[in-house]
Amino acid sequence: MSLRTVFESQPDRRYIMFGGKGGLGKTTLSATCAFWLASQGKRVLLFSVDPQASLSDIFQKDIFGKGPVPIMQNLWAQEVDADRRIKEYQEEIRKKILDMYGFDRVPEEIDNYIAAASAEPAMEESAIFDAVVDIIVQGDYDYYIYDLVPLGHALYYLSMAKVYDEWINKITKLREDMRQYDQVAATMRREETMEEDKILGELIYIKERINASSRILTDKRQTAFFFVVVPEEMIILDTKKAAELFAKFDVPLSGYVVNRVLPPDLGAGRIPEYLRNRITMQQRYMKDIQSAFGAQILAYVPEMERDITGLPMIERLAKRLFEEGPKA
Amino acid sequence: MTDEKKPKKGGILSVFKDIVYGMSSHEMTRHAVRTRASMEHLFILITMGDLLGVPILPPYYSLRLLPYVTPQISSWKRRMLRERDITDVLG
Repeated sequence: MSLRTVFESQPDRRYIMFGGKGGLGKTTLSATCAFWLASQGKRVLLFSVDPQASLSDIFQKDIFGKGPVPIMQNLWAQEVDADRRIKEYQEEIRKKILDMYGFDRVPEEIDNYIAAASAEPAMEESAIFDAVVDIIVQGDYDYYIYDLVPLGHALYYLSMAKVYDEWINKITKLREDMRQYDQVAATMRREETMEEDKILGELIYIKERINASSRILTDKRQTAFFFVVVPEEMIILDTKKAAELFAKFDVPLSGYVVNRVLPPDLGAGRIPEYLRNRITMQQRYMKDIQSAFGAQILAYVPEMERDITGLPMIERLAKRLFEEGPKA
Repeated sequence: MTDEKKPKKGGILSVFKDIVYGMSSHEMTRHAVRTRASMEHLFILITMGDLLGVPILPPYYSLRLLPYVTPQISSWKRRMLRERDITDVLG
């Protein structure tokens, strides 16, 4: 199996994610994959919601907070400004309160609550995942490549999504019970019309949003999740652990990509002791990776002689990844 | 009820209906309305617990509900934070 055959044999998998610890090359691989799909004539959106996003760096173009920016034919890139999104959301809530009750200003107590709520860490995660749902619901791309925030966040969100979902079910039930009491009182007073419960409507909306965002991460038919690993002891151990955790949350794992592989011909001839040791060490870890992940390894990405930034470098890597198949 | 312009017969009928309502279902209606109000406060506690320092629902989503409960917030806070004594239990 190679990365190319994964894409060609499963054309339904439109949501593509590369996961792994920070600094392993997730953004590089996401960009390379986006480039290849776009060059195959697919419309691709590569997006990131990470506040420290590096799509601007890899494409050498400032795209932060600017919506989907065209990079080349069929390829768009987008970096979501989560802070700005939270601010706009707060404003929306304030405006709604003013409109609903005809206030001149939002009551101080309520306003303080709005300000305090935004300082909570869970706020950012929810806002980020809500932004992802918006991107996917609104766009009409063939592929969405999601340059993930580091794994911890995704797992945290998935675990929270389950809890939230149960909570919302309970709250919805309470709201429905309240509605019944309303109904009783209305019938006894022989009032016929009853206003629809807007809160109930909002709860159902919230539930759908939470489900939609966790579904994007766990939909076996449409989601492909790749792990990026490099031949280093700590990373291999962490990746194994992360893979187990992801399996628990039903994230469909599509395979592994091994990054930063030193070119084998580097060891030929006279080289300094230091370099030789590094090469021997890497060869040992390469064996570990092969025995741990075996047939699930889809590609080996060589350590290039310079950083991968700019389209020509991305194109070179795409050729190497998608046209030459997996080989160590 | 006090509308004197209405025909007398309708007036008597309406007074009669009100008397029957008062005797039979007024108490039940009051009970339903009071239970509904308690549930409303419970609902606000669950969704807006942050206002009292009890975070329950993630704030991103509770903000969506905030506009709908804005008018009830102060009466809710008064009820949640008031001191209680034995008469509450007896009452």
